[in-house]
Amino acid sequence: MSHKWAMVVDLDRCTGCEACVVACHAENNIPTAGEDQASRGRAMHWIRVERSWEGDFPNPQIRFQPVLCQQCDDAPCEPVCPTYASYHTSDGLNGQAYNRCIGTRFCANACPYNVRFFNFYNPTWDLPLNLQLNPDVSLRSVGVMEKCTFCVQRIKSAEIQAEAEKREMKDGDFTTACAQSCASKALVFGDLNDPNSEVSRLERSNRATKLLGELGTKPNVTYLERGTWQDATSV
Amino acid sequence: MERRNFIKISALTGMIATLDACGRPDQKLIRFVPEEDLIPGIATWKPSVCTLCSAGCGLLVRVMEGDAEVVRHGQRGVMQMGLAKKLEGNPKSPINQGKLCARGHAGLQVLYNPDRITHPIKRTGARGSGEFQAISWDDALKELSAHLAAMQAAKTTGSLSFLARPLSGQRHELIERFLKAFGAPPAVWYQPFDEAVLRQANLLSFGHGALPTLDLGRADYVLSFGADFLGTWNSPVAQSVGYGAMRRGRAGRRGKFVQVEARMSQTGANCDEWIACRPGTEGLLALGIAHVILNQKLASQGPGSKAGSLIPGWSAGLPESTPEAVEKQTGVSAAVITRIAHELTKSGSATALIGGAPLAHTNGLFNALAVNALEALVDTVRDPGPILGFTPEPAIGNAAKSTAPAGFSGINSLAQSVFDGQPHAPQVLFLYEANPIFSAPPGTRIREAIAKIPYIVSFGNFIDETSAQADLILPDHAPLESWLDSMGESGSLQSVANLAPPAVAPLHDTRAMPDVLLGLAKELGGDVAKALPFAAYDAMLRMAYVPLRARGGSIDAKTDDDFWSALQAQGVWSSTPGTASTAGSKSAASTSAPAAAKRAPMALTAPEFTGTADDFPFYFLPYVSQSFGDGSLANLPWLQELPDVLTTAMWSSWVEINPKTGARLGIQQGDLVEIGSQQGNVRAPAVLSPGIAPDVVAMPVGQGHENFGRFASGRGANPLSILATVTEHETGSLAWAATRVKIARVGGPEQARLTLFSGGRSGFPHEEEPR
Repeated sequence: MSHKWAMVVDLDRCTGCEACVVACHAENNIPTAGEDQASRGRAMHWIRVERSWEGDFPNPQIRFQPVLCQQCDDAPCEPVCPTYASYHTSDGLNGQAYNRCIGTRFCANACPYNVRFFNFYNPTWDLPLNLQLNPDVSLRSVGVMEKCTFCVQRIKSAEIQAEAEKREMKDGDFTTACAQSCASKALVFGDLNDPNSEVSRLERSNRATKLLGELGTKPNVTYLERGTWQDATSV
Repeated sequence: MERRNFIKISALTGMIATLDACGRPDQKLIRFVPEEDLIPGIATWKPSVCTLCSAGCGLLVRVMEGDAEVVRHGQRGVMQMGLAKKLEGNPKSPINQGKLCARGHAGLQVLYNPDRITHPIKRTGARGSGEFQAISWDDALKELSAHLAAMQAAKTTGSLSFLARPLSGQRHELIERFLKAFGAPPAVWYQPFDEAVLRQANLLSFGHGALPTLDLGRADYVLSFGADFLGTWNSPVAQSVGYGAMRRGRAGRRGKFVQVEARMSQTGANCDEWIACRPGTEGLLALGIAHVILNQKLASQGPGSKAGSLIPGWSAGLPESTPEAVEKQTGVSAAVITRIAHELTKSGSATALIGGAPLAHTNGLFNALAVNALEALVDTVRDPGPILGFTPEPAIGNAAKSTAPAGFSGINSLAQSVFDGQPHAPQVLFLYEANPIFSAPPGTRIREAIAKIPYIVSFGNFIDETSAQADLILPDHAPLESWLDSMGESGSLQSVANLAPPAVAPLHDTRAMPDVLLGLAKELGGDVAKALPFAAYDAMLRMAYVPLRARGGSIDAKTDDDFWSALQAQGVWSSTPGTASTAGSKSAASTSAPAAAKRAPMALTAPEFTGTADDFPFYFLPYVSQSFGDGSLANLPWLQELPDVLTTAMWSSWVEINPKTGARLGIQQGDLVEIGSQQGNVRAPAVLSPGIAPDVVAMPVGQGHENFGRFASGRGANPLSILATVTEHETGSLAWAATRVKIARVGGPEQARLTLFSGGRSGFPHEEEPR
């Protein structure tokens, strides 16, 4: 059975706690930039929580929105890569082949979501912080682009496990690090090719929108709009 | 292999991390025999407990085989050992239900922190100079043991002081037993943001001297007075789980959330309606709402409650707290007060709760009692129970209370006893994860007091401002290397006990603090040895927790041994849901608080502030940081780089100012400003924020460390260092929201060093990068 990995982000549940951000760093060996590089705009948060302010005191409003690679069906980052380092997989992911990347940075230029991060320097870890590194995820070196992979290592792991057990993967077998950590269950990950999966059910919500969908990128991340207090509809 | 060697040589170790199969003899390190059998590439998940805040969330630790550079018997080498790769929430815990917060995830960086103290050290230079030299465990313990034995001989055991962060579970018990048997006073349990006021209020109002458990998943209306319940307050993960369910977990129902605060917090950012209330008048606002409910008879049941009886004028309908009168004091319009009263009572299930700054005023207890009275009036669903309830205590053996009160007054007394020079002034101070030199207000003069104590021993993992004063440091294992236990004070309506063995073997030459104390007890003999007859800490844990088997619950075991094994394997025990008779019952008078029932109503009290409004025009709000908690997590790099969710600031301190105030004072985004109270000044970059009242300025707590490792030291400013020592009237808790300040621009962005994640490069100048 072929899969189409997708995520739903329920903006009515997201509290802005950023557990997803730290969980992603821990899972994916994301380098810590340090103050100097971070102040040059080089911190790498594969998932970040954006906030938009509306209104002034005494009625200010903030809206939180987790933004990560949208794994677009029509990803603008793919056609611009001269080495096919940014490519589309058969299970609906935008893959990033680190060892094909030669660092032109056209992909980050083309991406409207600003979710691609370049390694301007060789990442380092003060010993023994390196002991925490996840052996399932490659370390990237200088000159290579990186971004959210929908925890492809977990996808592969679950595929191998299911094959070993001679069965199909089912919804809930595994999830991404960010979704696993989300206490309010704002982040839901799963297979859109499974009509009964949680992600399929939520994608059909009447609150569903896409981020910058009008650009034609066909993102596989669906955002469910935040409610208002009079709003009593479900899903 | 050179090109792929991404692991940089650290200046500290001067050693190359082994890539053993390289075949380069000059880099060969000796290989120790592994202590456990692990299959490379296969992960084992072990239970543990998060100790970073008091919520007591259960953890699962992903352990995988790897090579670690270690020192064993004075020799540096390499050992294959289980390494902790990732933390996840333990799905078996009813508190966090498999989820974990940002800080919980970062806890992994405590274990592998490059600034951990890796072996016992003894001071060689002046106090605070940072000059230490290595000392063996044997020598260190001999010295300490001799010191304590001398105190026994001289009958000066009363001058041993133990200063520690509040601990749940048997560590608390062990320390108190040791001290009692030794003849020393009880420990000073200290943390800067304690909840003594709320516990006292809950004891008086509801008969439970504990933090509340909120079943938010069933709520239709949540009115929160200042509680950062989705961020840092009480049991944030449990509360976030409930919040998600409250919003979208029930078909056709979406709970409304109203937040009352002077500065928009991460929690407040999620509300449907934000109400800015003058600092310290939150209790009065609650009474204004209650007035409308009582006089218009909006509540579904009568107003009689113990909580209500504690408020003067309650039974008469709070005649002085009309919406108009309350508007004058709080700044919240009478129309809003009236509307909230109607909304609260029309909703299916409603709750009113209080936390954070409203409790940190001189009238904090009054504010809490007022909100509790409102809560009792509106939270009336009986089946299965009210939204705001209390975790039943598991009462294991002779266990300590689930969390000891944190004593700001304890710090004051400690300092005072040093200055007074009484016979029992502390001569020996034991330190364990408490850092009052950083977090207690300067008016306590705790830095000066600690400097005077002749002999100081620290058991913590890190050098910080306080442990830097130690003469001897006997470093504890990291939490993931330790036997951990705690009892959930809140977060679940089931009793929850956490218990886990070490998830990984010790990386460094450290020893478990409980085992060190037990060893000392044995060495001292006599009463102390009798009070703690355990060869090792896990024996004490076994004795304390095995009696839970009789209560049934989540572990079904036929023998004590089976129960003990099962508990260690699962990491958590919980009682059967719905069985505890007093769960959630607020109306039942508690037998443990007979005095409370007779208490006279507490007079309406207004908040007091230090500094006159003329000289110090702004209310100062230091707030518990989403990244650093109370500052103890500032040495974890993931958290330094985590963008603050409201400002996106990383690696920085900042001051939040209302844009109109900024315009009036000529302060622009990123400018360096100086905040001054009667106690002192701090400087930090300004961030203009619409989510703060024009007469309030706020700063996150956590930066401004002078001595806390490479990631935290010399960074930012510490707002706690300018707080006045003004206390809540009844409990003596620090009123950390009662300091007034003035503010002035002292520089531009190039001096301010504000690093934001959003918006590209920061304003301050950068050095040209070498090519």
